[in-house]
Amino acid sequence: MSHATLASACAAVLRRDLTLAWRRRGDIAMPVLYALIVITLFPFALGPEDALLQRIAGGAVLVTMLLAMLLALDAMFRGDIEDGSLEQLMMSPQPLALMLGMKILAHWVTTALPLIVIAPLLAGMLHLPTAVMPVLVYALLLATPLLSLLGAVLVALTAGSRRSGMLLALMLLPLCVPVVIFAAGAVAAAQQGLPWLAPIAWLGAALVMALVLAPLACAAALRIALDA
Amino acid sequence: MTALSATAPSPQKLLLEARALSFYRQDEPVFGPLDFCLHEGEVALVEGDNGSGKTTLLRILAGLLHLDEGELRWRGQPWRRIEHLGDTLFLGHHLGLKSDLSARENLAVAAGTYGKRPGRDVTNVLNDIGLAGYEDEPVRRLSAGQKKRAALARLLLLPATLWLLDEPYANLDRTGIELVNRLLLEHAAEGGAALVTSHGAVSFLQGEPKRVRMHA
Repeated sequence: MSHATLASACAAVLRRDLTLAWRRRGDIAMPVLYALIVITLFPFALGPEDALLQRIAGGAVLVTMLLAMLLALDAMFRGDIEDGSLEQLMMSPQPLALMLGMKILAHWVTTALPLIVIAPLLAGMLHLPTAVMPVLVYALLLATPLLSLLGAVLVALTAGSRRSGMLLALMLLPLCVPVVIFAAGAVAAAQQGLPWLAPIAWLGAALVMALVLAPLACAAALRIALDA
Repeated sequence: MTALSATAPSPQKLLLEARALSFYRQDEPVFGPLDFCLHEGEVALVEGDNGSGKTTLLRILAGLLHLDEGELRWRGQPWRRIEHLGDTLFLGHHLGLKSDLSARENLAVAAGTYGKRPGRDVTNVLNDIGLAGYEDEPVRRLSAGQKKRAALARLLLLPATLWLLDEPYANLDRTGIELVNRLLLEHAAEGGAALVTSHGAVSFLQGEPKRVRMHA
């Protein structure tokens, strides 16, 4: 009897979720298109003044990215609950928290990574100075996984209820606020030529804590959701 | 509770013992108190009307639902969920198949997380289960019976002692029903055990299986 190793289980779950996302490529494109449309509309609504656009560029791109991520968040565990895959995963001889961590990673790769790739383009459309671009990308690289992890916990908590989308958005709002403050703070500081490392470091610290705790919380919440 | 064991020669070692199991949903009793036991090489049929708690019983034994009252023992020791991960297979109303993946890909994920029985691999299991030629077709394009077969393939591929099968005969044709019976007999011969729910008269194995009756 050959038991599955932890590495093979992680790889199997990760590969499955990435394959599924690839089979539904249209769904991956949705948040990207959304972000593109929102950022394109800003100059039309506010007028093409370079100085104004430059000032709001960092914040606008960050908020748009986080909202675009919300679009796909809701579906993180829904499919697995509906078709019984989650039950099978729960009964497998693997640590559920780690398996869910893999699912969150796959979710981040398929929703946040494409957004981060187009972020410099969007920021460029709002005349964000090239020198600030790396800081924006660092901030996004830390803020988006943090949001995926926090969002995953809330999705897991609301998994049992019907029409949880509204509840999810309301619960996520207070958790988003510090993420936006630190990420936008870093970009603003860089734009003014001030040191920007401190807010980035705060984001990093929060991400490390979420990496450890969020999958555990997810696992506990989903067990309760299926126990009802 | 009638206990007419004909599927395996007794005496066999006791696997699962349930004493006075009860389950409540919002203080409404769903079933119980229920007593039964299951030996190695034994297949038991869980009988009861709709809503009598057959699926609930299986979900409790799968560790998905929390037991309210009663005692469960496994090989003489108190039953603990964590020790049964991977040793219990559950086939429920939701088949646990990803409709965008093929049967082969679905089984590869199952094998990746649960492990494999010796000498079995995804290809020979799919042949054995009657899905040859459909291995790479997305599951959503398969018929209901073929989907069921793809889910049943997990039973052949993954190592486990206890099978919990919720309506395994539903949607299956005559050869499919025979296939389930063959899987159950082979599993019993290897010393495994199974609890099977089914309402209505099903041409169930040879002889008289053990029965667990739910009181509605």
